[in-house]
Parts: sequence; C-alpha cells; structure tokens
Amino acid sequence: MSSGPHFSAEAIRRGAIACLPLLPSTFIFGAVLGVLATQRGLGLGELLFMSLTVFAGSAQFVSVDLWRETIPALTIIVATLIINLRYVLIGASLRPVFRGRPLWVKICAMHMVADENWAMTMAQKETPIPGFLLGGGMFLGVVWGSGNTIGYLLAGGIPDPNVYALDFAFTAIFAALTIGMWKGREDLLPWVAAAIGAIIGHYLLPGTWSILIGAGAGVVVSALTWKGDNDTSAQPEIVTSSATGVSGDDYVPNPDDPRFSSRAGE
Amino acid sequence: MPDFTSFTPEAVLTILGMAVVTYGMRLGGLLMADRLPQTGRWAHVLERLPGAVLISVWVPSALSAGLIGIVGATATLLAMIMTRNLFAAMIAGMGLVAAGRYFFGA
Repeated sequence: MSSGPHFSAEAIRRGAIACLPLLPSTFIFGAVLGVLATQRGLGLGELLFMSLTVFAGSAQFVSVDLWRETIPALTIIVATLIINLRYVLIGASLRPVFRGRPLWVKICAMHMVADENWAMTMAQKETPIPGFLLGGGMFLGVVWGSGNTIGYLLAGGIPDPNVYALDFAFTAIFAALTIGMWKGREDLLPWVAAAIGAIIGHYLLPGTWSILIGAGAGVVVSALTWKGDNDTSAQPEIVTSSATGVSGDDYVPNPDDPRFSSRAGE
Repeated sequence: MPDFTSFTPEAVLTILGMAVVTYGMRLGGLLMADRLPQTGRWAHVLERLPGAVLISVWVPSALSAGLIGIVGATATLLAMIMTRNLFAAMIAGMGLVAAGRYFFGA
C-alpha cells in the first residue's frame, strides 16, 4: 500500500474477514460478560453502551466484576486506566498505518482499536490503510455486542469457554501473529527482553502489569541495540504536501519512503 | 424484556469515564508517536514495539494456562513457522490445549 483512500469498502471488508477466526471466542466471552452483568445489576443497555464506548475486553470484565448497586466509579475508572495503559503503546505502534493521514482519520479510526484487530493489522505484509483496522474493529464490536446480548438474555447456561480451549484462541492467534511480525535479526534481542520481562512481571506483579513490564523491556533493549541508520537511503518519511498545494486530505506517497527502497521487505 | 432502556446517570458517567481514558490513551499514543522523529533511534524502537507488546500480551496468558498453555503456545509457534497459515497454527494450539484439558485435566 503506498497511497489510496483512508477507508475503502474493500479494506474494511478485508479487515473484518481477517478477524473471522476470532468470532467464536469473542462471541462466547462476550456472552460470559453478559451473564456477569446480570449478576452485577447492569442493564443490558448500559452493558452495550459500555461495549461500544470502551470496547476493551479485559477492562470490561474487571469493571463489570467491580460493579455494585452503589457504583465504585473512581475504582472502576482507575482500574480501566491501568489495564488499558498498553493502548498508549498500541496507538504509538500504529504510526505507519496513519502516516501522512489527516487528524480526522486518526480521530475516527482509533476508537475501535482492540488487541485483536491491531495485531491483525500490524502482522500484514504490506502496511494496510486505516480502513483495514476499522473493519476488524467494527466486526469485533458487532460480535462482542451480540455475545453480550445473548449472554444477558440467557443469564447463564453459556458453555465454559475453557473446555473447548476458546480462552486459548487469543493466546494462539497472538503467538502466531508474532511470527508474522518478524522483520529480521534486530528483532531478536528486543523480543527476548519482552518475553523475559513479561514472564518476570507475570510472576511478580498482579493483573496486566506484565504487559507493560515486557513491552518496557523490549523498548529499552531496542533503544540500546540501535546501531544507527546505516542505510543512507533512509530519508525522513515526512509527507510534504504544501509544496504542491495539495490539501491535507490527500495522501501523497513520498518517493523517499524506505518501503520503496531496496531494503523494503527486509 | 430486560431493562434495555434503563440508564442511571451514575452508570452512564462511570462508563463515559472509562471510555474517555481508554480512547484518550489510544489516540494519545498515536499522536505522541507522530511527534517522534521518523528516523534514528526512536523510529527503530517504534518498529520493534508491535512485536514487544504482542509478546508481552500472550506470554503471560500462556503461563496462566499452566503447562498445557506453554505446550500449546510452543505448538502454535512451530505450526506457524512451518505452515505460515494462521488458521492452522491456531487450530494446532487450541487442539492441543483442549485435548490436554480433556485427557489430563491440565
């Protein structure tokens, strides 16, 4: 992908199809959350409102679990903040997808970003347009909300996801996508550091802190192992559109983009 | 019919608070990265970031699933390296974990 629209119907459709393998697990876990909501006194409308506006599975599970007649609002919001801190890093890593795109595209497309459609987007061989990311998010949102509704209406009787290893689907997809993200030897040390950091964090710290410890270790090691931009063809990738008088809404591919150089695909 | 239309102000405000912090971090992360240089050390770090975050997401979940989780994750990785097929890799990992739980209660 070198240019093109921000959100094409085709990219949205491909993004949705890419997330298809996650349908059973997302639906069942959505239903489990629906059952939990009936036990904690959330209305179905409130739950769906949360699924649409927050759209973050693990934070929603913790929040609904904390929900009581008198809502511990501050506790819930702080817990959400901590569990979702990884989205700062996830958002940062999406920079190539939004390179040269106007602010409104970023504002529109960054809401429906879950771990799953983000991982699927980052693992594509060619950097997809924002529509791919959004298509996956919209698909997962519909499945997630449908699961919530079915679980809420049944108020129980949902099969245990663990029996069919549906809980493991997320782990397996993420592990497999990691292989697709391998760009070369320079990934090795940061990845090993991330794994070690995550393992240490898993055994020493509660909740999702292990994600931040692992990612932090990966960041530090990748910063330390940087050997300099030894390729002279790597020019700044800033898209200059003012010179030609093109409006900011038009993406102009930069001929100096390293993706077009001989190093592309390394 | 369940209380589809009942929204208490406390619930709506709590949910909006959750939504604002979550969306703020999603968009904020991207906008912060936009301000980082496009080349050099920071660009190199940003390129390593997706893999580092992803590994940090699934490694702890594999550990939480116990021995069978570690076996299942290893099988997923090997299947992906051999087949380069996401669905095959996913089925390999999930199949092993489901079988392991069924036969050994692991």
